Amino acid sequence: MAEGALNAAELENKQEWWWLAEKKRSNRLDYLRKSVWKKGALGGNYAPGIKLDLEIPTLFTDMWNFWKFDPVMMRRAKALAHVLDNITIFITDHSQIMGYLGSAPHTIGWRVDGASIVNEELYNEPGIIPEPEDESLKKIADLNAYWGGQTAVDKLARILDPEDAVKFLSGAIGWGAPTSAYGYSGKNYEYFMTGERAFEDIIAEIDRNIEKAEDKTIGTPGPDILPLYDRMQNWEAMKVILKAAIRYAGRYARLARIIAENYETDPKRREDLLKVADTCGHVPAHPPRNLHESLQYDHFIQILARFEAHEGAWPARPDYYHGPYYDKDVNREKNITKEEALDLIGEFLIRAYEVGGFGPRWAREGLQGITGTWVWTLGGVNKDGSDACNDMTRALLQAARLVRVANPTFAFRWHPGVREDVMREVFECIRQGLGYPSIRNDPVLVENAMYWHGHPLEEARTWVHQACMSPCPTTKHGFQPMRMASATANCAKIIEYALHNGYDHVVNMQMGPKTGDARKFTDFEQLFAAWARQMEWIFNTLVRTVNLGRYKDSEFYGRPFLSAISERSIETGIDAVSPIGERGNAWITAFTWVENADSLAAIKKLVFDEKKYTMDSLVTALEANWEGYEEMRLDFVRGAPKWGNDDDYVDSVMIRCLEECARHSHEIKCPCGNNWPILPENVSGNIHYANIVGALPNGRRLGDALYDGGISPGPGLDKKGPTAVLKSCGKIDHVHHGRAFLLNQRLSPTQLSGEKGYQLWMSYLKTWADLGLDHVQFNMVSDATLRSAQRDPEKYPELIVRVAGYSAHFVDISRKTQDNIIQRTVQGLG
Amino acid sequence: MKCMECSFEAPVSRFRYLYNARIDASISLRQCPNCQSWLAVDELKSSPRQKVGPGEAPWGKSAGIESLAEDHQT
Repeated sequence: MAEGALNAAELENKQEWWWLAEKKRSNRLDYLRKSVWKKGALGGNYAPGIKLDLEIPTLFTDMWNFWKFDPVMMRRAKALAHVLDNITIFITDHSQIMGYLGSAPHTIGWRVDGASIVNEELYNEPGIIPEPEDESLKKIADLNAYWGGQTAVDKLARILDPEDAVKFLSGAIGWGAPTSAYGYSGKNYEYFMTGERAFEDIIAEIDRNIEKAEDKTIGTPGPDILPLYDRMQNWEAMKVILKAAIRYAGRYARLARIIAENYETDPKRREDLLKVADTCGHVPAHPPRNLHESLQYDHFIQILARFEAHEGAWPARPDYYHGPYYDKDVNREKNITKEEALDLIGEFLIRAYEVGGFGPRWAREGLQGITGTWVWTLGGVNKDGSDACNDMTRALLQAARLVRVANPTFAFRWHPGVREDVMREVFECIRQGLGYPSIRNDPVLVENAMYWHGHPLEEARTWVHQACMSPCPTTKHGFQPMRMASATANCAKIIEYALHNGYDHVVNMQMGPKTGDARKFTDFEQLFAAWARQMEWIFNTLVRTVNLGRYKDSEFYGRPFLSAISERSIETGIDAVSPIGERGNAWITAFTWVENADSLAAIKKLVFDEKKYTMDSLVTALEANWEGYEEMRLDFVRGAPKWGNDDDYVDSVMIRCLEECARHSHEIKCPCGNNWPILPENVSGNIHYANIVGALPNGRRLGDALYDGGISPGPGLDKKGPTAVLKSCGKIDHVHHGRAFLLNQRLSPTQLSGEKGYQLWMSYLKTWADLGLDHVQFNMVSDATLRSAQRDPEKYPELIVRVAGYSAHFVDISRKTQDNIIQRTVQGLG
Repeated sequence: MKCMECSFEAPVSRFRYLYNARIDASISLRQCPNCQSWLAVDELKSSPRQKVGPGEAPWGKSAGIESLAEDHQT
């Protein structure tokens, strides 16, 4: 490696951040980083060598079948306990943090009981079938035959309205599976992660509750005691899984001790393994005593939750919850050095990066390069409003630059009281091309949480990212155990259906309501009324489906482990996924949103104001996918104002669309009775939907990537500079118009080098904050580097870019997504 | 339209439309049905402008458009 000859300063000057990281990190961390198996799909395909784990589904199914007469939560708890007791475990060389979702480091988990439509996709993935392939395929077929008709989604599909089911499953208007088997589970960190209790304490709490319930069930008969019979079963199920979790950790403790005492010849490693044995013998049974145990406790919980469900996100606030242990170990008691702490934290990131599960192709295409949106929350405020940043915040930001993983990424809760040294660490991550942390406006989002969902101030201040973007408290009544998955709307279909009378020319069926022949619309108000009705229809269809999925989830799926770490379930004996006791924190993810404003504004100007074209000619051109209408298409792009240029003509259309959605968001309710605000963002859905959304009046054809999402202007269409982008976005009311609004920005790495670069960036952030925006994230990689990486991918294996609400290695995303990132405007500051 | 790689000739619509080079230019990417090469095509003239390989994307404001797509930035 020629670069290895350069010193750190030279590498920094050349912005060779990967090689700089390699030079700066310890040998241990270097080994762990390079030996980790990448589970994120390359475009839509798994990397060579990645194999499906068949131990978990086989063990789970065996015991699920054996306990067929048990209530669902108990049945799941026993099946999971069987997995935890019997799955092959391993210890990676040099590692100090244990736990993996699979029987070997190159395997990916398979959620066999989630959905048959996902299970069937395995037959289309020959590369990941373990050897011997024939034997594995037979096992997969046996498992699929067993689960066909009794997965969570299969059960839900039987009771859905048939028309809703067909339209939902068409893949045209939304994605996801309405079950907690997939999706994102918030966690009640305030219950289990504050150091006050761990699993043994929770078991004792459950025992007390069971005892009280038993006393009642042998007392005076009455309707009040009847629910207790089910609840006692649920409590017992929670105990089963908590005890199994302690045994699972104990297996690592035993393995580490066996290796240390019988096989390890390196005294330092032997010492490490004995420490691992001690750690795994202590957590999760008991509250952590130091940083290592705190990180291990957290990691065990995350892995255990993923044995139970395919959690696509990783809501976390590691600086807030691990910070006290860092302070104790590094600052007060000096048990470990800062460098040793950084090493542990670096491994903590790597252990999360290696986790992966099998996902269907549509999910892999929509989340190219990663296995889930693992956006960890940093910074923010304490419950009393004081600055929550600590030494762990800085250490996490430093460790991220050392290990340079694409997942997890960070999102930073900025507030006016953040100290400059922390902001400099944040900037350094962005400047070094990680694409993260994204910056969130904490005061705006706390107010937003109180407005939309009624979270009390102190609870709102605990918020973490439940997925890429949406804040969710970590409290008893505030945390959301099941992200309302599938309420992810392909919003470009709203304007498409308004122009085609609800008919979808891509999937060839009547989808939305018949809102009139657009060729005959005589003014903009008729078009907008059709747009509003189509918007309501799409949102209603998705929310109906997801609400039902949530309502029935404890019956069709059930989460004993998640319940066992949730205060309201421990208190009541009710499955955590039940809406009972939750305040509600739902949101509609609005994919492909900005196309609506740009398209409506183009029609308003060119058809109704200037009368340059007729609605008839426009619909004809769109039906032809603009083929043969290139001059007209260019006119609709260049001759009409576009979002992101501080142009009131189109910006007012955007605001009107958002106001219409906000009005409807108060009408549609989640099972907890709370609102469904929208949240514009895309992940890489703009690529996934490229071949599903037809031609639009903003000038795109079927096949073109959609805009990169949220409220980001169309790539290359923001022509008036970064302040104009911020001013357009600042016209949105970031509290009352929706739950959050993603903004992508590309900045020049050359311009932002050195101290001047930091000052320019801070000045930009000040404008962003003054205008009340809630989110912004940056790519700071030059076109030249990105193009070189396209040409010679083997030379850029670790180049990271911000795709949407997540980061990915550039070479892991499809050519089309790569091109879409290059198309984004590089903004010059100053 | 004639493929610049293999000289296959057919109406432009026979060349599979992939995606636009940038939305505000008349350059798009199409694929030759004969040799599968990717071509940058001027949609106004229905003529190919160049064969496109990785890293040769004819777009990007900051990239100077490499003489293909006109830059409409103001």
